Amino acid sequence: MRRHLFMALLLLSWPAAASATLGGDVSTVDVDRVGVQGALLGITGQSAYSVHELRASSGTVLREYVSPAGKVFGVAWQGPWMPDLRQLLGPYFETYQAAITAAQSSPHRRRGTLDIETPDFVLHAGGRPRAFVGSAYVPALMPVSVTSASIR
Amino acid sequence: MPAVRLPLLMLVLASGLLVSQGCDPSSSSSSAPQNVQPIVVNAGPTTTAFDEPFTAVTVCVPGTTNCETIDGILVDTGSSGLRVVGSLLTIPLPQQTVNGAAITECAQFVDGSSWGAVVTADIQIGTERANGVPIQAIGTTVSPTVPAACTASGPLENTVAALGANGILGVGLFRQDCGFGCTVSTAPGLYYGCTSSGCLPTTEALALQLQNPVWLFPKDNNGVILDLPTVPAAGQLSATGSLIFGIGTQSNNAIGSAKVLGVDANGYLATAFGTQAYGGSYIDSGSNGIFFLDAKTTGIPVCADATDFFCPLTLQSATATIGGTNGVTAAAPFTVANFDQLNGSFSAFNNVGGPNPGQFDWGLPFFFGRRIFTAIELQSTPSGVGPYFAY
Repeated sequence: MRRHLFMALLLLSWPAAASATLGGDVSTVDVDRVGVQGALLGITGQSAYSVHELRASSGTVLREYVSPAGKVFGVAWQGPWMPDLRQLLGPYFETYQAAITAAQSSPHRRRGTLDIETPDFVLHAGGRPRAFVGSAYVPALMPVSVTSASIR
Repeated sequence: MPAVRLPLLMLVLASGLLVSQGCDPSSSSSSAPQNVQPIVVNAGPTTTAFDEPFTAVTVCVPGTTNCETIDGILVDTGSSGLRVVGSLLTIPLPQQTVNGAAITECAQFVDGSSWGAVVTADIQIGTERANGVPIQAIGTTVSPTVPAACTASGPLENTVAALGANGILGVGLFRQDCGFGCTVSTAPGLYYGCTSSGCLPTTEALALQLQNPVWLFPKDNNGVILDLPTVPAAGQLSATGSLIFGIGTQSNNAIGSAKVLGVDANGYLATAFGTQAYGGSYIDSGSNGIFFLDAKTTGIPVCADATDFFCPLTLQSATATIGGTNGVTAAAPFTVANFDQLNGSFSAFNNVGGPNPGQFDWGLPFFFGRRIFTAIELQSTPSGVGPYFAY
């Protein structure tokens, strides 16, 4: 009971801002929480990984998937406004930017949703203003028993 | 519309930017019904677009006949508000200012953001008119620096090439582009107050936000219909259709036997496909494909070269069921063609598809051969109060 109270106080006392970076250590989750001025909604343990769920101040919920090795192998978002992908995708943000910039000049430009598939990094995103949704993961960091469908 | 006028109309709509200054838009001599605006699905201003519906919109300096008509504007049932690439504006639309700061917007889309000033215009679309409407002049700003937060979800789409259109006419489910959230918090990250020394996030009153112009029309103001013809499985060079204003307000916009599908607060429907139901489904004319599920779930392979589109060996026919929050369901038969085998010089296809894991985005291919209704929030229609989709 006392421990629960302590945890609650800890959650309340966190500065108004946080979360993790794709490919980063679990410790970066709190960096993200600060960055999005959000609240940690909870940590859910699965057999092969844990999920850190945060709510950004914009109302958008972020989920960060952490492997037993302590690495963030996937991230997902759902909510009214786009998350800070520069922070959430970390080192993969440049890959994401480059893929979009290339798509802008492609004669086969897909509009309305994104589907970026590279050997190192996969991102799906869709929705429209007031209702965005998306996920990204690093295949090389995925625990063997986890499928991409789990990340959303 | 007399058949003889069609080629001329198509020529005008296909000819890129059309500017006519100093005109009086109310003196239009169109013989079309009062609430019908022509749209065309063609290669658009970038000359490479497919399955994107374009139209022409007239903007005027408020209260004057100093007007400009800009075509190549994407008709988007997935957003709300008019946005025009600012470099195309030749008339002095006044900057919106609050407490001395120039209000500037970071408009968010799935693949990036558009940064630009909020200016005020009288909007004329066909013979419908909304006066004193906040719109976005994309790429126009009093501050040379774009806030870092506005590039945090992707690259800027501030030019015709990057945006893929001369502008976007958002005629979606909502009255404003942001809504209540932006009136009480800067967290959505949409509105900024700018001076020459920089920009700071700001809240924005509902009436000052970008507005879906349709709900501000004096009549025919409860929603729109996108009416597109059938196209053959091989597609065609282009297709012309109508953006019809109002639902159940005139003889040409009755809901008839269309199924009214209620949406949740986010504008989502559900789609049943196979043995599964997928929440987070939506109907969006701004998407240029039917983007749904993945190769594993559907058995339809993606293209070898463009993995964001499907490439089945033969034309695939499927049926899903779209369900509203009101319990109404509607059958949704659709087809998916081999994207690589479609004629690259065509722009109108009813069978472009691509993966979108766990979701259904019913984009423009779904609109061909249908009349799809988009009813605006809080607006009354004979079939109930919006928001809803119907077809």
